[in-house]
Amino acid sequence: MPSFQFMRRKFQTAGMTHAIFLSLPVTLFAVFYVYPIISTFNLSLHSWDGFSPTPKYVGLQNYIVLAHQSRFYHAVLNNISWLVFLLLGPTSLGLLLAALLDRGMKGQSVFRVVFFLPFTIPAVAVAAIWRWMYEPTSGLLTTILQSIGLGSLAQNWLGDPSIVNFALMGSMLWWTTGFAFLVFFAGLRNIPVEYIEAARIEGATPWQVFWKVSFPLLWPSTIVVLGMAAVDAMRLFDIVWAMTNGGPAYASEVLATQMYDTAFGRFEMGRASAISVYLLVIAGLIIMPYIHQLAKRVQEAEAE
Amino acid sequence: MNTAAARRTALPFSILVVAAVIFAAPLVVALLTSLKSPSEITRVIALPNELYFQNYAIAYDRMGRSFLNSIAITVPSVILSLLVGAISGYPLAYMRGAGGRAVYFFLLTGMIVPFQIVQIPLFFLIRSIGLYDSIPGMWLVHTAYSVPFCTFFMRNFFASVPRSMYEAALIDGCTPAGYFWRLLLPASGSGLAALAIIQSRAIWNDLLFAITLTTSDKATPVTATIAGFASSLQVEYGPLMAATLISLLPVMVTYLLFQKAFVRGLLGGAGK
Repeated sequence: MPSFQFMRRKFQTAGMTHAIFLSLPVTLFAVFYVYPIISTFNLSLHSWDGFSPTPKYVGLQNYIVLAHQSRFYHAVLNNISWLVFLLLGPTSLGLLLAALLDRGMKGQSVFRVVFFLPFTIPAVAVAAIWRWMYEPTSGLLTTILQSIGLGSLAQNWLGDPSIVNFALMGSMLWWTTGFAFLVFFAGLRNIPVEYIEAARIEGATPWQVFWKVSFPLLWPSTIVVLGMAAVDAMRLFDIVWAMTNGGPAYASEVLATQMYDTAFGRFEMGRASAISVYLLVIAGLIIMPYIHQLAKRVQEAEAE
Repeated sequence: MNTAAARRTALPFSILVVAAVIFAAPLVVALLTSLKSPSEITRVIALPNELYFQNYAIAYDRMGRSFLNSIAITVPSVILSLLVGAISGYPLAYMRGAGGRAVYFFLLTGMIVPFQIVQIPLFFLIRSIGLYDSIPGMWLVHTAYSVPFCTFFMRNFFASVPRSMYEAALIDGCTPAGYFWRLLLPASGSGLAALAIIQSRAIWNDLLFAITLTTSDKATPVTATIAGFASSLQVEYGPLMAATLISLLPVMVTYLLFQKAFVRGLLGGAGK
């Protein structure tokens, strides 16, 4: 048996090693997260075009101007509709597909691949493909409507301000449902068969089995899917930027695309920084409960 | 299968088939479009009369270079981000007490921060150190912004390795660093493989850093090129679909080949 002294020395070197190892990620984090975030806060109090040598201090003016801008509110509202949509849409469709497939269905592996495949595609590829789907005269959607005699319902899907957001959400549903599907599918697989059997013997219908037995046990998967959806709704950029660039007439703009346009299209760095600070605050408020859940789970895991 | 059971699965099965057709349709249409000549392109549902590979030639002309850039950016970035994730996850999996937990949560906050909050200073930072529009600049940025997720993932993976292995190695005279390099890392193949696939998808598919930090053929990855291609005034859908399919192929093939590791990885990283 090694002496107590020996083990203590070992663990002291362990402390040193740990500190040396951690210095690399902590440095990267400080340089690429902490410093830029502080710098953005600072920049949001200035007016700067990105070229002139000294930014001009303007106090809270950027925040106040934005708070009086309908363009800004419109983007905030869009982010909130995206949040609602991403929490409900891909989550429930993914759950439905996973629940249907979880019955020893024929061709299970084929279905699994087909549902998940879109999730592997880059956002710009999704945007390119769906711009073609939504092409107003000969795109797939219009063509199908015409061929079943509903041609009058065909729209300028991405060009009409009152429709564009729904069109974008349609392509987002196609892109992200696969993730929710996969997480739920694996979650359902992990539920012990005996639970389901026991409920069935008691005379429960498949509907009851799902809502009374399976769904409550899927809670860990649900937290993961909802958390990712909330983060995605705040970060949302690629799909909107690549499909409509926020248009027509800012109708589909979200905070991330408005910020990009303000910074790199109009060179108003201070204003753009204020937009991203607003975005950070909104994201923080929405995602906080999720972080709380994560923290609780890590502490529970350590207590075990 | 008896008839009652067959009847019970008939409805779910038909719903699944309809859903699968809807899910597959955009990719099938994109593939057909990429093989049609300009005169046929408006007949969306029809099969091409003859295979028109000219679209792929045009696509390759416009995006071949950026495809190579994407490979040159993704491969080293994935390797570096895995390495940093492991280096960071190891101490956090073994440290006890408040210090380790504080560092862990500090790093985790990075997973939820919208990147817009760093975008402008990052642009000026990368430009001031001379890495604007360069492939090494993209390595650095992708590695740095992978720290939170890779740390989270590798810490959870290492935490599932029995602690007794660590203690036994120390008693046998192994240093903590030696344990990491010689025992833990070589035994973590499955975790590293899963993380590699997740990271390949994330880095290959990135658009935000690409359009913020690259501008010319020197470093622009394929995602940024396609975005430019798609938003030009007169979109030619034949070549665009060809370019799009080329751009999504590497990650899709990787996923199909390593399906199991990918699924395990997504769930391992997300589920713990």
